[in-house]
Amino acid sequence: MALDDIPRLGCGRSIDRIWATTDRPPTAHEEHCEHCQTARTRLQGLREATRLLRESDLHNPALKPRPAIKNAIMGVARAEVRRGSKILLRSADNGTTEITEQALRSLIRFAAAAIPGVHSRRCRVEIRSAAASPAGEDHASATTGTATTAGPRLIVNLRVAAAPGIVIPRTMESLRREISNALPAGVGIGAGTVNITVEDLYDV
Amino acid sequence: MSDQSIQGSIITSRLIASIATRTALETPGVLRLEPTIQGFLARLGPAALQHLGNPGSQDGTYRHNGVTVTISDGTARVHLDIATDIAYTALHVAETVQERVRETISHTGLTPGTVDVTIRAIEPHRGATML
Repeated sequence: MALDDIPRLGCGRSIDRIWATTDRPPTAHEEHCEHCQTARTRLQGLREATRLLRESDLHNPALKPRPAIKNAIMGVARAEVRRGSKILLRSADNGTTEITEQALRSLIRFAAAAIPGVHSRRCRVEIRSAAASPAGEDHASATTGTATTAGPRLIVNLRVAAAPGIVIPRTMESLRREISNALPAGVGIGAGTVNITVEDLYDV
Repeated sequence: MSDQSIQGSIITSRLIASIATRTALETPGVLRLEPTIQGFLARLGPAALQHLGNPGSQDGTYRHNGVTVTISDGTARVHLDIATDIAYTALHVAETVQERVRETISHTGLTPGTVDVTIRAIEPHRGATML
């Protein structure tokens, strides 16, 4: 036999149901039911007391988190946002391997730092299936790219500032080669398309 | 009634997390485990995790900085968030971690389930010189 431990009023309604709706107008049944009306009146007093306690807790300095805890939570939360989306590298029966966009971006920036006369700026990494689009589809007029179809197809969009006096096309080819070598070496996947946009010159 | 004692052991998700952490950190190319917001909140208490809408975290799941372990029906599933050394190939490092963690779990008597790895950072090892 199932036991019903829920407290019920004489009319059969549960106290929980009345409690959940005390902030709303009474139903047609509650307007005419003596049990429900009494319960609502009593529970409204309890609801008001609960609200006052909650308000009091919100403004009680003793219940506020210490600044160190708040800063630590915010630090981890900001790091989570910076990491960006995750890219699936490999999926097998024994588990998956993913990489964050931030990890890829930092590797690309390290590669770019090896090329003299280039300051990397904004970097965005996308992933598409190899069959999603023909190579070169994403190329804007100011960018150039190379494509491979092995493994997950990455599309790297890197904006850079160049030093005055460098030969930009040759330097950008060196940069693209550096990134195309760094991704297989550092991550284990092909670089896919590397779009580079020279958006500015910087003073040496 | 026999007086013979019954020997047994209790393998908790916390113990598996500890083993997985040590195994991962001993793998060449792993710099550290990376804390996540969920792992951090788990240290503050279950109530904080409930606010994230993750009710599954209360039963059989243990989270600590960068490692999450769930034990269910004698099978241990692990998720690791790692930072890898730029001098190593991250995918190979992750595969080695997966193999080693599965092997160490099998030594506990539990069945190793999936070992998922997220590479959260790739950095040069401190003290290493970048060419």
